[in-house]
Amino acid sequence: MRSVKIYSTPVCVYCKMAKKFFAENNIQYEEFNVQEDLKARKEMMDKSHQLGVPVVDIDGEIFVGFDRGGFAKALGIK
Amino acid sequence: MFDLIIIGGGPAGVAAGVYAARKKMKTLLIAGELAGQSVVSADIHNWIGEPSISGLDLTEKLEKHLRSYEGRGLDIKLDWVKSVSKLGPIFEVKTPTETFQTKTILLASGSKRKRLGVKGEDEFDGKGVAWCSICDAPLFADVPVAIVGGGNVALEAVLDLEKYASKVYLLVRGNVIKGDPITQDKISKLSKVEMIYSSVVEEIYGKEMVTGLRYKIGTNSEIKELSLGGVFIEIGAVPNSDLVKDLVKLNFYNEIEIDHQTQASSLPGIWAAGDVSNCLYKQNNISAGDGIRAVLNIYDYLHR
Repeated sequence: MRSVKIYSTPVCVYCKMAKKFFAENNIQYEEFNVQEDLKARKEMMDKSHQLGVPVVDIDGEIFVGFDRGGFAKALGIK
Repeated sequence: MFDLIIIGGGPAGVAAGVYAARKKMKTLLIAGELAGQSVVSADIHNWIGEPSISGLDLTEKLEKHLRSYEGRGLDIKLDWVKSVSKLGPIFEVKTPTETFQTKTILLASGSKRKRLGVKGEDEFDGKGVAWCSICDAPLFADVPVAIVGGGNVALEAVLDLEKYASKVYLLVRGNVIKGDPITQDKISKLSKVEMIYSSVVEEIYGKEMVTGLRYKIGTNSEIKELSLGGVFIEIGAVPNSDLVKDLVKLNFYNEIEIDHQTQASSLPGIWAAGDVSNCLYKQNNISAGDGIRAVLNIYDYLHR
């Protein structure tokens, strides 16, 4: 089972686009709201070395921003 | 062989796609995303027909309209274009994995964010230097931030950040704000916001994250400083015209020079619309109209 995590803020447009992409491709994901969850925010910054959302972690591969091609490759979606 | 390949998925590209499909032109639209720069707008008040709509909702409406023609003469590919070349009377368009041939091309590739070009901008990119105010504003809660710019996008960033930051400085290069007076009025009532006119950013600095920036006022040599948790850069855009820079005439700003009656570029067979062109006003409504004008002219060109 793949592990997909998204670190997001509620208003973030590219987070919404990423979640829409996962939903369309039936990918389950775990979401962390880094606006309120400071522990998750730290985790996100440790992983991505930056402060900007979304950050997506697919089995340890870290993406900053909405990267349709990168997500598809990491998830094996054609 | 396509009649038309549209490059770009913002308002110009989408409007062109709808009209091309209705004209039954064999069309391929290639875009990284079916979204324009306004996708990150919290609230758009000037898209005609919608008193108020978010950038994401507008984007989804445009996509829905375009996709209603998908497969009916219109193909859509979400990918980036690697190259455009002229092959005798036709054109070849390459993505990283595919090659397509077409009789005509409409460049609707928009523009990308302009950078300040100062020390610290790259080093602290994502570490306090930010580009999407609506995305990242909540992460700057209770810290002072600066927004560099004076156009509508900069003013929108003020509104996004004012909700969270402890203080918002707007660093305007000129002595007036170019953004819409109606938004300026709104901002002038916000006590957290301070405008600094005639300001020229010299450097962004910090340790692990941004801690401040240095700037000058006008031609004064005195360096001033602001302590900050974040810097949002909203100073305009540069056109995505690299793909055709060796094929068509560009102006000083690297915008594609067009015939404003037809949207045709200097090279027969290539048209341009929206922010990548040298149209005077960069607006969603105008881009949509310009994309349509281009397609109608392309239709005439193919049928003359």
